[in-house]
Amino acid sequence: MAEKIKISTKKVNVFYGDKKALENINLEIPEKKVTSLIGPSGCGKSTFIRCLNRMNDTIDICRIEGKIIIDNEDIYSKEIDPVLLRAKVGMVFQKPNPFPKSIFENVAYGPRIHGLAKSDDELDELVTQSLVKAGLFQEIKDRIHEPGTSLSGGQQQRLCIARTIAISPQIILMDEPCSALDPIATAVIEELIDELAKNFTIVIVTHSMQQAARVSQQTAFFHMGNLIEVGRTDQIFSTPSQKKTQDYITGKIG
Amino acid sequence: MTNNLDRVELSLVGRKRSERLFKFYGFLGILIAFLFLITILYSVISQGQKAFFTTFIKVNIFFDSEIIDPQNQRNDEDIRYANFNKIITESLKKKFPENLNKNDSKELSSFISSSEADYLSEFVVKNKDYIGKYKNMWLLASSNIDVIVKNPEMEDLDEEDRLISDKQLGWLNQIRLNKELKKELNKNFFTKADSTEPEQAGIWGSLVGSFLTLLITLILSFPVAVAAGVFLEELAPKNKFTEFLEVNINNLAAVPSIIFGLLGLAIFLNIMHLPRSAPIVGGMVLALMTLPTIIIATRSSLKSVPPSIREAAIGLGATRFQSVVDHVLPLAIPGIMTGTIIGMSRALGESAPLLMIGMVAFIVDVPTTFLDSSTALPVQIYLWKSTAARGFVELTAAGVIVLLVFLILMNGLAVFIRQKFEKKW
Repeated sequence: MAEKIKISTKKVNVFYGDKKALENINLEIPEKKVTSLIGPSGCGKSTFIRCLNRMNDTIDICRIEGKIIIDNEDIYSKEIDPVLLRAKVGMVFQKPNPFPKSIFENVAYGPRIHGLAKSDDELDELVTQSLVKAGLFQEIKDRIHEPGTSLSGGQQQRLCIARTIAISPQIILMDEPCSALDPIATAVIEELIDELAKNFTIVIVTHSMQQAARVSQQTAFFHMGNLIEVGRTDQIFSTPSQKKTQDYITGKIG
Repeated sequence: MTNNLDRVELSLVGRKRSERLFKFYGFLGILIAFLFLITILYSVISQGQKAFFTTFIKVNIFFDSEIIDPQNQRNDEDIRYANFNKIITESLKKKFPENLNKNDSKELSSFISSSEADYLSEFVVKNKDYIGKYKNMWLLASSNIDVIVKNPEMEDLDEEDRLISDKQLGWLNQIRLNKELKKELNKNFFTKADSTEPEQAGIWGSLVGSFLTLLITLILSFPVAVAAGVFLEELAPKNKFTEFLEVNINNLAAVPSIIFGLLGLAIFLNIMHLPRSAPIVGGMVLALMTLPTIIIATRSSLKSVPPSIREAAIGLGATRFQSVVDHVLPLAIPGIMTGTIIGMSRALGESAPLLMIGMVAFIVDVPTTFLDSSTALPVQIYLWKSTAARGFVELTAAGVIVLLVFLILMNGLAVFIRQKFEKKW
């Protein structure tokens, strides 16, 4: 399988103050595929995903060593502007966090600050397209100017996805996007992830191994700040090479 | 198992008792506070409401041409210089046919406020036809008469303890019997500034002074404090220096207000040579005092905005500043507004720093600019309280009522804003 590598990390160490959160992470993430990160709570998978768009910059005590290369550029080098990076690497958070504004304003905010639409018509079109891609448009087309917070949890999360894809990133990071949702809303989001993988590189953190198995092509298992094993998803769940991975997916640790 | 439950039941008695006791103490505390509140309100309102009305006496004024215009020139200047006090006294005398000596007429003339002579002279200048004629007019009673009318229990006092003599009391009763006495809304109180005569003194001058002062305070403190709060909470790096600033701002909020007055005296008056007693200086001093309050309110309401909103904006590629201005600040505005209004109402009730910069002077004119000499509401109350004349007792209480009304209005506005604009997420 000749895959193009979108993101690769080299010897990444992350510290919160004196505490080491991640140690020597070397991971390659293929383009336009879904990579899921699994592992018990506190294993560092969320920390890792937040390094990929430099979200950890907002935490003062967080310090990062090593290299994270996206499209042949080290995103932690001085020439990289984190704001520009985040326009390229979008993020969907654990808890749906729409702005307390209308559905339209939620989606339009990104394009607006980045100047992506030249006219109001273009912006309307962009918002509609994003909502269509996020599979939300049919449900809410009559109330696009109502508050985003009035939607159900699953709809809110899809609104957040629509908001993210409105700025056409190349990579979408998802930090446990379904952990606050019921199974039906989860199924809808998972379908959406399948669809989005045609156009975007997706990295998803999940607690549910079934979800990882369903949506991803590659799976990485983290444990205690270390990357234990990475491989094709079917392979990880059927014939893991590491004892710890085996224990985790069979429920012995975690 | 049963044994265990018995023990739980036994311990329950003690637990329930301490809960009841705690509830009782809480209720007692509220009751005491409520009683004090009622006492204060009762004493202030029962005194103060008297000052909202004032006494008028009906006098059949004879505009004696001999006194007003002996040369028959009808000249405005001459009329203004005429002795209208004499006109009032002579007209009053006609009410009492018995022979009055010189001393009596002096006592009689003190029934009417000294402001009425000017009022009559202006009246005659405008209506020259009345010269040589009679007209029934309601004239403002002097404060001593007004106090006796409002406090009938004082009539029973001995002559030397009473504000008016036995003879004056007799005349007053006769006027009352003739129904030539009425109580009307005290226009002076609501339209005039301070005066040495209680019946001519008003709250308006100090109200305008307070308004001008608070306007300066708001203009200076609000933008600076919000900017400082946003910077410290959202943009500044967390290091030793910002920590030091934070501690000092919190300390500043606890500094006694008179210290700010001393600072204002030293810097604004002695170094910058700004005018004494002026609202602009008062506003600057109160702005210094209000700054830390608004900064703290700004920071705490920024803190209460969930971090997920910031993350959402930053995750979309907004700069830190954009995430604050577009999303965090709008959500924090109700809290900031509430804090600002609370700070402003504190500034409204503040007198100590204003004493230091000379806003405690006796000001007869209503201020019109930020540079005019002026007082403020609480200072005016303090001034009246320390004046000897009996008529100022009611004025003091009435001033307190006006101050309380404005404080309640401002706090009500704060509650309204908080409920109206608070967004749920």
